[in-house]
Amino acid sequence: MIRSLPVIIFLLIFTAFNSSAQKKFTINGTLKDAATGETLIGATVKIKELPAVGTATNNYGYYSLTIPEGEYTLLFTYIGYETVSQKISFHKSQVINIGLATKSDLQEVVIRANKPNNDNVASPQMGLEKLNMSQINQIPVVLGERDILKTITLMPGVKTAGEGNTGFYVRGGSSDQNLILLDEATVYNASHLLGFFSTFNSDAIKDVSIYKGGMPAEYGGRLSSVLDIKMNEGNNKDYTVQGGIGLISSRIKVEGPIVKDKGSFMISARRTYVDLFLNASSDSSIKGSSLYFYDINAKANYHFNDNNAVYISGYFGKDVLGLKDVFGTNWGNSTGTVRFNHLFSNRLFSNTSVVYSNYNYVIQSFQSNDSFKATSKITDVNLKEDLQYSLGNNTLKFGINILHHNIAPGDVSTTGVSSFNDKHVERRYGYETAAYISDEWRANNKLTILYGVRLSGMFLLGPGTFSTYDAAGNTIASTTYGSGSVVKKYFNLEPRLSASYAINDENSIKASYNRNTQNIHLLSNSTSSTPTDLYVMSSNNIRPEIADQVSTGFFKNFKDNTYEFSAEVYYKWMQNQIDYKDGAQLLVNQDVESQLTYGSGRAYGIELFLKKKYGRFNGWVGYTLSRTERKFDAINSGNYYPARQDRTHDVSVVGIYKFNKRWTFSSTFIYATGNAVTYPTGKYSIGGLTTYSYSERNGYRQPSSNRLDIGATLEGKEHKRYHSSWTFGIYNVYGHRDPYSITFRDSKTVPNTTEAVETSIFAVQIPSVTWNFKF
Amino acid sequence: MKTIISYIAFFIVLLSITACNKVIDLKLDNEDGKLVIEGNITNVPGPQVIKLSSNVSFSSTNTYPPVTGVQVSVSDQNGNNYTFKEAPAGTYTASQLTSVAGNTYTMTVVSNSKTYKASSVMPNFVALDSVVSAKNDFDSKNNKKKITVYYQDQAGIANQYRFVMYVNGVQVKSVFANDDEFTDGNHVSYDLNQDDIDIYPGDKVTVEMQCIDKPVYTYWFTLMQQGFNGPGGSVTPSNPPNNITPTVLGYFSAHTTQTVTITVKP
Repeated sequence: MIRSLPVIIFLLIFTAFNSSAQKKFTINGTLKDAATGETLIGATVKIKELPAVGTATNNYGYYSLTIPEGEYTLLFTYIGYETVSQKISFHKSQVINIGLATKSDLQEVVIRANKPNNDNVASPQMGLEKLNMSQINQIPVVLGERDILKTITLMPGVKTAGEGNTGFYVRGGSSDQNLILLDEATVYNASHLLGFFSTFNSDAIKDVSIYKGGMPAEYGGRLSSVLDIKMNEGNNKDYTVQGGIGLISSRIKVEGPIVKDKGSFMISARRTYVDLFLNASSDSSIKGSSLYFYDINAKANYHFNDNNAVYISGYFGKDVLGLKDVFGTNWGNSTGTVRFNHLFSNRLFSNTSVVYSNYNYVIQSFQSNDSFKATSKITDVNLKEDLQYSLGNNTLKFGINILHHNIAPGDVSTTGVSSFNDKHVERRYGYETAAYISDEWRANNKLTILYGVRLSGMFLLGPGTFSTYDAAGNTIASTTYGSGSVVKKYFNLEPRLSASYAINDENSIKASYNRNTQNIHLLSNSTSSTPTDLYVMSSNNIRPEIADQVSTGFFKNFKDNTYEFSAEVYYKWMQNQIDYKDGAQLLVNQDVESQLTYGSGRAYGIELFLKKKYGRFNGWVGYTLSRTERKFDAINSGNYYPARQDRTHDVSVVGIYKFNKRWTFSSTFIYATGNAVTYPTGKYSIGGLTTYSYSERNGYRQPSSNRLDIGATLEGKEHKRYHSSWTFGIYNVYGHRDPYSITFRDSKTVPNTTEAVETSIFAVQIPSVTWNFKF
Repeated sequence: MKTIISYIAFFIVLLSITACNKVIDLKLDNEDGKLVIEGNITNVPGPQVIKLSSNVSFSSTNTYPPVTGVQVSVSDQNGNNYTFKEAPAGTYTASQLTSVAGNTYTMTVVSNSKTYKASSVMPNFVALDSVVSAKNDFDSKNNKKKITVYYQDQAGIANQYRFVMYVNGVQVKSVFANDDEFTDGNHVSYDLNQDDIDIYPGDKVTVEMQCIDKPVYTYWFTLMQQGFNGPGGSVTPSNPPNNITPTVLGYFSAHTTQTVTITVKP
C-alpha cells in the first residue's frame, strides 16, 4: 500500500487537472545570459495580462507555460539582468528562447526601467536562501579567498561551526544533516585545510541555494538542509581566461565554446601555497612539511537541438598535509555527473543523471618502528530520473532515485617492522532509493500551494557479519549475510507541504510542514573538521534519523521590491539522533556501532531578514533567536540540554557600497552568543593529576563572538582586451579575540591553583590582497 | 594510530600562526564534597593503597579534604578478605595483599552508611622492555627530546596499558593510555607525546608502566581524550565512566606496575 501511494497521488492529480483543459497552448524555451550563453536558473516568466500565471526556469534554464490563446506580453526577469518584455500573438504552441543582458553598472545605480520581481513574496517556497555570486565576490573573507560556505553562514538560521571551520548548522541540525550537492553529486567533506577553506571554488560556481525548511520533494536524504550548488557551464560564445593571484592561493579559469552557441566547456583550478612559508622555516622538522590543497572543477555541455542536451561535470580536490619522515595524510572528494536533458513534449521536461561521488582519506606513518597506512573511503553511484510536467496552473515534478553506497570504513596496512598490524573493517554496501511527486498549484492569484510526498527506502546489504549491541555496547548477536542479501530495510514516507497566500503584491504569508529522513550518518567525536570522517548507514543498530518541521512566515517587499523583509518561525522535532559514549573509539573499529547512543532533539526559533537588493548601497541584516536541545537517556539524567550549536542570538550585517565606477567597499559584521559548553564545577586529584568534575552537559556558555571584516575592490581601467581588479580585505578589523576553545589547567603562575585558558585563532587583524584578471 | 590524529591537530595549531592563549576569569558553579575513591592493587608486595577524598570547587586551592573513618576492604574470588587501615587521614592501606594475574578483586567502601563496590581483574604482566629518548619530531631545533617506550604485547588477548612519566621527579600532567587494538602481539613502540614538560639531554626520566583491565582503560582513555584539549581535538568532557557502583568519582584498579628510569642522552 505504502509503495503504491505516490502512484495513486500521481493519478489523482492527472485526472484532477487534465479535465480542466480547454483551448490552451504551450510556450516553452530556455533563458540564457545573452553574452555568455549561461543558462539562468530561477528566472521568472510572467504574463502581463494574466497576473495569476507565471513560472520560473528550472535548473537548466527551461520553462514551460500553458495558457489560453490570446494577445499577451511576456515578461522575463532575472536579478541583475535587464527585463525583457515581448509581445506575442498566441494562437499555437511556440518555443521562445530568450537571452537576457546584464544590467550595466550605470543603469543599476541610476535608472531602473522595470519593476524588479517579487519572488520573495509570491513563491510558496519558504526557508530558501539564494545567493548571488556577484555579492559573494564582494564579501570580505579571511585570507582573501572568497568562500560560499562562509557567506551562507551570514544568512539567518544558518550558523557557522566556529572560526576557521566551514561546517555549518541549519536550524538546530548538526553539520552532517546538511545535504551538500555540487551538480547533484554529494560532497561529503566540504572543507579544505581542516576547515579553513571550503571545497567550492567560487570561480566555478553559478548558483547557490540553501533550503532550511519547506524542502521540495525532489530533495531528500538529510534532516536539516539542502545546499544545492551548480557549476558554471562555460561561455558558449567566446573564449575567456580569468584568474587571481593571492597571498596564499591562486586560481585560474578557462572557458569557451566547443561549438559556438551549441556547446561550451569550463575548467577552473586552485592551489594554495602555505607550505612555501613552512619551507622557509629554519627548523629542520618544520621545513620538510607539506600543507596545501588543490582542486579542479570542469564542465562541458552540448545542445544537440532544442529538445536534447548533455552535460558532463566533475570535481576533484585533494588536501595534503604531512611532516617529512614522520607522517603524511591526504584526503579529498571527487565527483562526476553526466546529465541528459530531453523534452518529450513542450510540457514534459526530463533529466536523467548518473552521478558518482567519492570521499577518501589516507593517513601514513613513516616512522621506522611505527609505519602504517590507514585508508577509508565512501563511494556512491546515483541514478536519477527527474521529470517536470507543466499544466495550466500546475507544475508537476516527479522522479526516482537509486543511490548505491560502498563504504570502506577503515583498512590499516603495514610494511616492514611496525608496532601495528594489518586490520580490515568489513565493507558495507547499501541502496538508498526514493520516489517522489510534487505539484505546485497556483490556485488563484492569491494562493499557491506546493505539495508532495517522497518515499524513501533504505536497504543495507551483505556480505558481512552484522552484530547487534545492547545499551552497554556488548555484542548480543552476530549474523553473517551473503552477498546482496538484505540485512535491514527501512521505508519512510515524507510528506512535504508549503503554501503562500499573497495579501497583495507586496505582502504574503506562508506556512510549511515537512518530514525528512536520513540514512547515512557521520561519526566524528571531534568538534572540528578532521579528515577522519566516517560514514555509516542505517542498520540493525542505527535507525533512520527523522525530523518534522513546521514553519510559518510573513514576507514583505517594499519600495518597488528594492527591499525584502521576512520573518519566519519554525519548530523542529528530531528522532533517532546519534551521540557517542564516553571514551568512544571510532577509528578502524569493526564494532563502531557499539560506541553509539541514541536520543532525540528539538529546535525552534525566529529568523528576521531585511535585504536591500538594488542600488549603490545594498546588503542585508539577519537576526536569529533560537534554541536547540538534545535529549539522551545517559546524559543530564535524561533531561533536555542545549546542543553545542545552541546560540540564542545570532546577528549578521552585510553592506556593499559602490563608491564609483572603480571602487566598491564592503563590510560584514557578526555577533553570536557563545556555544553551549561543558565546564567543570569541581576538581579532585586522580593518579597524581588535577582532574575536573562535571555536573551538567553544556550548562555553560563560551563568551560571545563578534567580528567586523572589511573589503574593497578596485576595478582596473577599462581595456578592450582585458580586465583586471584588486581585492583588498582586512579580517577582524578591531582584532577581537573570538574564543575558539577554553581549557582548564594547573596555574602556571599561582602554585596549587587552577586556571581557565581561552584560545583564539585569529586574535589579530588579517590583511589580504588578491589581483584578479580576465581576458 | 591515535597519535597521528594528535599530529593533525598539532598542524591546526601551526596553521593558525596567530593563535594565542589568555587566562580568563570564569564564573563557575561550586560543587564540592563529592566522594572520590582512588583504589590501586598491584603485583608488587607492600602496602596497597586506597585513597578517599572529596572534591572541591574550581576556584579553591588544589587541596582535597581526606574522607576519614570509613570501612574499606578488598576481597578476592577465593574468599580472602583484607581490611584496610587508615593512616594518615584518608589513606587506607593493607600490606598482606598482593594481586595475582587472572584474579578478580572486589573493593567495598562503606561511607556514611552507603556501600560502594567495585571489581577489577588483575591482567597478565607485560614487561616494559625499554625507555628510549630521541629527537622531538616537531621541535628538533632546540634539541628537544621525546620519550618512547617499548614492550612486547601478548598475542591473542586484549591488553591495556597506562603509563605515568616523571621528568626529574616531577610528574608530567598528561594521561597516557594505550591498548592493543592495532598492535596485538607486536613488539610495540609507543611515543609518550606531551607538551607539559620539555625534555632535554641530561634530564632524568622515569616511566611507570601499568597493565590495566578494560574498564579501567576506558576510564583513563576517556580522561586522555578530554585532556587533549588543543584546537581541533576535544570531545565533550564528562566524568569518565568507572567501575564503582553506585557512581562516585574515581576508580578501582588491579594492575601490574614496573618502573624504568633513564638519563636522556644528547
